[in-house]
Amino acid sequence: MEEKIIAIAGNPNTGKTTIFNSLTGSRQKVGNWPGVTVEKKEGYYIYKDIKFNVVDLPGTYTLTGESEDQKIAIDFLVENKVDVLLLIADASNLERSLSLLILLSELHKNIIVDLNMIDLAEKEGIDYDIEHLEKLFKVRFVKTIGNKNIGIDELKEEIYKRCKEKVSETFKFNYGADVENTISEIESEINKLNLNYPSRFLAIKILEKDEYYIEFLKDKINYEKITSKILNLEKTLKKPVDMLLMEKRYGIIHGIVREAIIERKKELKFELTEKIDKILTHNFLGPLIFLFIMFLIFNGVFLLGEPLKNFIDLLLEKLKEFLSNSSFSPHLISLLNQGIISGVGSVISFVPNIFLFFFFFSILEDTGYMARAAIVSDRIMHKLGLHGKSAIPLILGFGCNVPAIMGTRILENKRDKILTSLSIPFISCSARLPVYLLFTGIFFAKNQGLIIFSLYLLGIIVSFLAIKFFNSFVIKQESMPLIIELPPFRTPYWKSIFLESWIRTKYFLKKAGTLIFLGSLILWLLSYFPNPENYGSEYNFIGRIGKIISPLFKYSGFGFWQAGVALIFGIYAKELVVSTFGTLFGVENLNDTLKIYFNPISSYSFMIMSLLYMPCLATFLVLRKEIGGKWAIVSLFWTFFIGWFISTIFYQIFKVLIGG
Amino acid sequence: MERLSDVREGKYRILEILKPGKLKKLSNLGIFIGDLIEVIKPGPGPIIIKKENITIGIGYGIAMDVIVERVE
Repeated sequence: MEEKIIAIAGNPNTGKTTIFNSLTGSRQKVGNWPGVTVEKKEGYYIYKDIKFNVVDLPGTYTLTGESEDQKIAIDFLVENKVDVLLLIADASNLERSLSLLILLSELHKNIIVDLNMIDLAEKEGIDYDIEHLEKLFKVRFVKTIGNKNIGIDELKEEIYKRCKEKVSETFKFNYGADVENTISEIESEINKLNLNYPSRFLAIKILEKDEYYIEFLKDKINYEKITSKILNLEKTLKKPVDMLLMEKRYGIIHGIVREAIIERKKELKFELTEKIDKILTHNFLGPLIFLFIMFLIFNGVFLLGEPLKNFIDLLLEKLKEFLSNSSFSPHLISLLNQGIISGVGSVISFVPNIFLFFFFFSILEDTGYMARAAIVSDRIMHKLGLHGKSAIPLILGFGCNVPAIMGTRILENKRDKILTSLSIPFISCSARLPVYLLFTGIFFAKNQGLIIFSLYLLGIIVSFLAIKFFNSFVIKQESMPLIIELPPFRTPYWKSIFLESWIRTKYFLKKAGTLIFLGSLILWLLSYFPNPENYGSEYNFIGRIGKIISPLFKYSGFGFWQAGVALIFGIYAKELVVSTFGTLFGVENLNDTLKIYFNPISSYSFMIMSLLYMPCLATFLVLRKEIGGKWAIVSLFWTFFIGWFISTIFYQIFKVLIGG
Repeated sequence: MERLSDVREGKYRILEILKPGKLKKLSNLGIFIGDLIEVIKPGPGPIIIKKENITIGIGYGIAMDVIVERVE
């Protein structure tokens, strides 16, 4: 079957992900762009006789080599044979998307513009003269409502047609005679080099003073000659040329959009969004609402997930019972029951909670609340030495620390990235949730939601203090200020939310199936040998390791070897803390056995330790990639010390106050 | 003439953006000198402005370098 490559580009908040999901459905995979840790989403769909491989490029407002995300988009279009470039535009806010279209048209000629969310534009009284736009830009325009799956078939048909047809006419933006002459002169210099990049694109980048491309070309061309040409141009135009290019693009686009709007029944009004924004971003109410929303989410995750979790537990018990009564060898039964099912199974039973967490989280993203959360957090983040944008990776950390650290790429400044990355491991990710659910279910059954909420709050406080500490004593530099677009509030698109939650949960399950499976296997071997008859006892390897480290936690309230072993395996993957207890104590007696070893104070102290100590292996590896090995090792030791210190202080104080 | 960080709710015209880096950042989002904006949420803290149908949150640090004049 013939295969074609479709790249999806667009500004943030234009519904890019929704269109990607509508085209590919669940036939998608998440990975990383080669050499970097920016998330790469790929998928495919088959239409008529062609298999279309769809690549979702990072969302961007502009194209500059100075930002890694944008450079990925540029390089993908330059280095790959992309058949169709699909630009997703917010139909109610077309100007910015058209500015990106002008930039993209310097890189690719076969472009389709998807006027997405056309229903919102129509509500505002906007309709476009598509023929006029197509004639001006020499590309095809298609109208869609991604969140209602409207126009997707037409979009597929248009992509199909554009793959079959040859592009006859191409669009070239005219920056005016003076600028165009300079572009041609720079182009003739670049043409001598025989590069992959279109020479006109590079010439414009030089005029835009893009540091990355200037550095790239400086030694290859006569840069002094070009600089003097640019200075002459600026003298003639009496303006910095980079600003002039931007103004020219927006100026012309503004005119085009005005011409292309054929119906404007009423003035644009977003009174409701404005009113909601005033409340949600209010200096006093905003943070309270933010905390209340977080509190609701954590209670929702627990209350709704519990019945499903109990059902999975029941199924696992039945499976164990079946295996115990089977005719398999005792070694195999022990491996399956005590190793695999107790280890992997005890984590899998938390899948409903994890799914619900991602589900609520996706709702916050989809409705547009997440950007408001950045605004609300800016005041406090600014006091710590960062800006509100850093709050977004921190919030992502509640799901998983790994994408959260990857998410620090939205921060332009290296210092902000290091500070935010070092504080993320303190944010309570979903992998810690099974630990809280297990212990609060046993020791704080009546106040489970409140206790779990207090742990999340503690994670936030420690993370903030970590930023303040590093900002005050280690990396002293001024932070980059916040600029963020606030998308209009939207009704969530449930299909996309379910799909996003499922893909993220699938990632968790994959982790459970590989890392945790391997961890459970090692754990079983250490627990089973050298005395298989005394499984998980202090006489086996596991007990010996636990005994060496357990004295360290004596004053934290959990100085027994099983807790030490659980914490060691928790470094491998945080979920293994629960599965280790499951393997060592057996799932059927887990609650009763834990009651013997822990009391409410020591269990809370153990939860503090699980929350704060050492990032998991995957997080450590991402930290190493993102901010360097030195900072990753700092994070490893520093988080362990903080976790041990706070849990010990907590245990000692409450032991005196309440009696432990 | 006032700094954007000090203004109350209302309509303003951008007269100047003091630092080139900040000017570029705002321009990337479609905000230019001469534009008519509406302040939805004034300082302290981040300022929320609206230009036509674009709503943007601007940190206090940037808002201090944006010079505006009130438009009735």
